[in-house]
Amino acid sequence: MTGSSAVPELSGTQASILAAYAELIEELGSDDVSYRVIARRAGIAERTVFRNYPTRVDLLLATAAWIETTLFAREESHSIFDIPLAIRDAMQRYDLRPELAHVVAETAMRGVSGAAPSPDRAHLERLLDAEVPSLDAAQRRAVIAALSHLDSAGTWVTFRREFGMDRRDIADAAAWAAEAVLDSIRDRVAS
Amino acid sequence: MEEPVDTATAILASAAVLLRERTFDDISYRALADEVGISERTIYRQYPTRAHLLAALSNWIEQTRFPLPPFVTVSDFRAAVHERFRAFDTLPAYAYVGARASAISPTLDIEPAYITRAIEAMLDVAAPTLNRRDQRRIAASLRFFSSAMFWARLRTGFDMDAGEICDAFDRAVDNVLAKLPDGTRAES
Repeated sequence: MTGSSAVPELSGTQASILAAYAELIEELGSDDVSYRVIARRAGIAERTVFRNYPTRVDLLLATAAWIETTLFAREESHSIFDIPLAIRDAMQRYDLRPELAHVVAETAMRGVSGAAPSPDRAHLERLLDAEVPSLDAAQRRAVIAALSHLDSAGTWVTFRREFGMDRRDIADAAAWAAEAVLDSIRDRVAS
Repeated sequence: MEEPVDTATAILASAAVLLRERTFDDISYRALADEVGISERTIYRQYPTRAHLLAALSNWIEQTRFPLPPFVTVSDFRAAVHERFRAFDTLPAYAYVGARASAISPTLDIEPAYITRAIEAMLDVAAPTLNRRDQRRIAASLRFFSSAMFWARLRTGFDMDAGEICDAFDRAVDNVLAKLPDGTRAES
């Protein structure tokens, strides 16, 4: 998994809390789930949930990170030019779990107090630097930023909401956009 | 003083004031009720969930703080988006609300944003004979690179300021429009 550096190690209890909350979000939405219900679903005491996640915001951010790195985990790409394929897969996965995709998309838009909006940044930089080391700083940054933006739940939300696209269309358009970004560096691979 | 406004708008105006000193999550309905001088129940009647409040607040901020300059041509589109990104940099707390609201599960029947329609109209003029699939691919890409989400991701995830975000946006637009086949462009 590419974003694992951004996610702290979880205890077994924590993982079961986050999995329970993710399940409940899909059933009830993220607003209406009490700690009591989460504790019961995870099979633990309510105070254990509080001890691990003192506030609802703590719990939601941890859950969003967990969802992105487990349920929406990308297959590892070995080339920057494989990223469009990973994006296509990711869009299809978001589409199968719409409630969770919205949670991941929204928590990444909260600024520094939110979830990391570009968990795959370091991985993309490694791939790009290995294959196309000749880019100037501004171009390198623009390519990474654009790919990172496209490889996100925000893409799925926006294409669906603003254009009424279905799963196939979203996967197509997101991968297409990533190919367009890569067109600018396609013939600059180091020999 | 400003014009007297209806309750729903007064709530949003007060929420915007509170946003200057705390995050949206730290604005309780209780504090908001105190700020407006109404009961908490009245706020719940207007905005049954925090998602409703977030969506309405974002719309109000969009209209009052970040009006989108109209555009017809691609260069006007770029200029309009630059202006917004720079405005976002001056009021980041407000811009994050917009980015968040555009990511939540919709609370109401949502109309596509004005900018979506404007981009589609722009492409109709710039590439009138372009096939429909490529038209949607291009429109969707331009829409996503011009969004508050793009600004928010680059600011938080890449520590970029508005100038750098505008540069990344321009490069993305160049890449997307380079996909237009020869002969579809109306402009010379």
